[in-house]
Amino acid sequence: MDLTIFLQALITGILMAGIYALVGIGLTLIFGVVRIVNFAHGEFVMLGMYVTFWLWKLWGIDPYVSLLITMPVLFCFGVLVQRFLLQPILRAPDLAQIFMTVGISVILMNATLFLFTADFRSVKLAYSEWVWRVGGVSIPLTRLFAFLGAILLAGLLTLFLTKTDVGKALRAVAQDREVSMLLGINPERMYLLAVGLGAALAGAAGTLIVPFFYVFPTVGVVFGLIAFVVVILGTLGSIEGALLASLIVGVAESLGILFAGSDLGLVVVFAILVVTLVFRPSGLMGQR
Amino acid sequence: MAESAATGQSDLAVRGKRVRGLERAIATVAILFVLILPWLLPNPFYVHIVIMMAIFVALGGAWNIIGGYGGQLSLGHAAFFGTGAYVSTLLVNAYNISPWITLWIGGVAALLLSLPIGVICFRLQGPYFTIATIGLAEALRLLVLHYREITNGAQGLTVPFKGNAPLLLQFDSKMPYYYIAVVLAAAVLLITRRMERSRLGHYLVAIGQNQDAAEAVGINSAKAKGQALALSAFLTGVAGVYYAQYTYVIHPDGAFGLGMSIQIALVAIVGGVGTILGPALGAIIMELFVQSTQILFAGQYPGLELMVYGGLLVTVILWRPRGVLPWFESWYRRLVGRAERVSGGTP
Repeated sequence: MDLTIFLQALITGILMAGIYALVGIGLTLIFGVVRIVNFAHGEFVMLGMYVTFWLWKLWGIDPYVSLLITMPVLFCFGVLVQRFLLQPILRAPDLAQIFMTVGISVILMNATLFLFTADFRSVKLAYSEWVWRVGGVSIPLTRLFAFLGAILLAGLLTLFLTKTDVGKALRAVAQDREVSMLLGINPERMYLLAVGLGAALAGAAGTLIVPFFYVFPTVGVVFGLIAFVVVILGTLGSIEGALLASLIVGVAESLGILFAGSDLGLVVVFAILVVTLVFRPSGLMGQR
Repeated sequence: MAESAATGQSDLAVRGKRVRGLERAIATVAILFVLILPWLLPNPFYVHIVIMMAIFVALGGAWNIIGGYGGQLSLGHAAFFGTGAYVSTLLVNAYNISPWITLWIGGVAALLLSLPIGVICFRLQGPYFTIATIGLAEALRLLVLHYREITNGAQGLTVPFKGNAPLLLQFDSKMPYYYIAVVLAAAVLLITRRMERSRLGHYLVAIGQNQDAAEAVGINSAKAKGQALALSAFLTGVAGVYYAQYTYVIHPDGAFGLGMSIQIALVAIVGGVGTILGPALGAIIMELFVQSTQILFAGQYPGLELMVYGGLLVTVILWRPRGVLPWFESWYRRLVGRAERVSGGTP
């Protein structure tokens, strides 16, 4: 095995890990605060991709600029989903909550299929093909930007959660709902914020990959599944864990593609899930 | 006092006997109706619809054993369905084994596949099982696409057409397919009834109400759920074999796709989970839905059908979280009550 090919795969994996981290953090934030497992999270990524694609296609808006639109749009979408679809079933059994988010996922996936057909779409940008060569390894700039953008957003979220009052309130609700209510925090508003933020982060991840990834209605299934593995490996509810786990998943997927074939990357990710559940079901940050 | 109590009791007994007689009559009529149904339908297309209904009664009923009674939501039952369908069709093609035999082999293959998933996931509480089942079906779909020397990749497999060959589970009329599908569906529902009244059924009810309490009185919840999953997977695999045999062709996307998993789960959810007749009702409603959307829109709009499914699911959860069966039950109970009054029973 040629060392440069190996390094190339390693770097591709690390760069992709930034995106997985962003999707996973959103998922784990929603779970941590609202205690709902969002099976529609991959579809939030897909929506972000389509918003970005159409902004570029119709008005020529650069994908990175469109972050300023995608994130607020997805934030509002998440808030609406929480207010009208999740809020009514918060006290329902787990099973009903899973059914609900699965139903939302099915609707979003197929509404997109219905509106935009199953066509694979992609954007063409002046810098699409730009590559940065380091030694024998070539790094596509769009992937590097996606990674840097993801790290920047994850950092901003961490600052928000640790330094602002609203962020602290959000964490308080995640830690103990009853006590946070005694402190005068309205948990239902925090739920709206958490789902909004989670959706906005997923949408941002979608935007960041559009320059080098095909846009199609079922693209979210893969991201949803990977996000789940990231979140379980990184311990449900833990943001640091999600960051670490996304690195493992991204690199493993990339090496899996290198060694097993381009269509088996997800099988490797599934294998990670199985291994995690067998040996450390509470995840890397877990107690047990 | 004692005398009146005694008369009260005998009144109840008479009443109970009358209700049971009425229920037996209704059940007999229903069974007769199912048996003559295909002869009442104007053309084979309608027979095809009722065959699909029966197959989905079997699939939804099988899902219901783990999803409803076990309370463990599988969104990857396509893994068991596809495993049954692929194992059987590969064996039929490679070794000329009769599908009457591969029907069982396919079911056992699905059962074996379910064992590690049960062992791994049921030690844990939380959404792990649901996620693992989605992942399992998706991983199998990718593997089937990848190893195309064996599986023929995206093109899928076809069952060789032999004309009218009952020993090879092939017929040139739809009628035999219908009756076999009805037997399959009835078998799944009867097994569900047996299971409900068995030790396993009682364990699952106890676990569903309070897992910690059930564990405290010595029920091994992981084992009970694992058994329910194995039974469910076996029946799903068998139904998958029959589906492949009836449609003559299977594709990885159809057999292992998320769409199939969701359809199987929806049948039970819409009808009513954790009830014997829920999946039967669900399959009838869903199939009518599917066929009418297909007739209305002639398949011109991809995605519309599943979008409607998703809408149905969200609506059911918001307004009828227990499915539509309870509705039908209360309607049925009123009907029985009225019939009693008409026949002159004591008020």
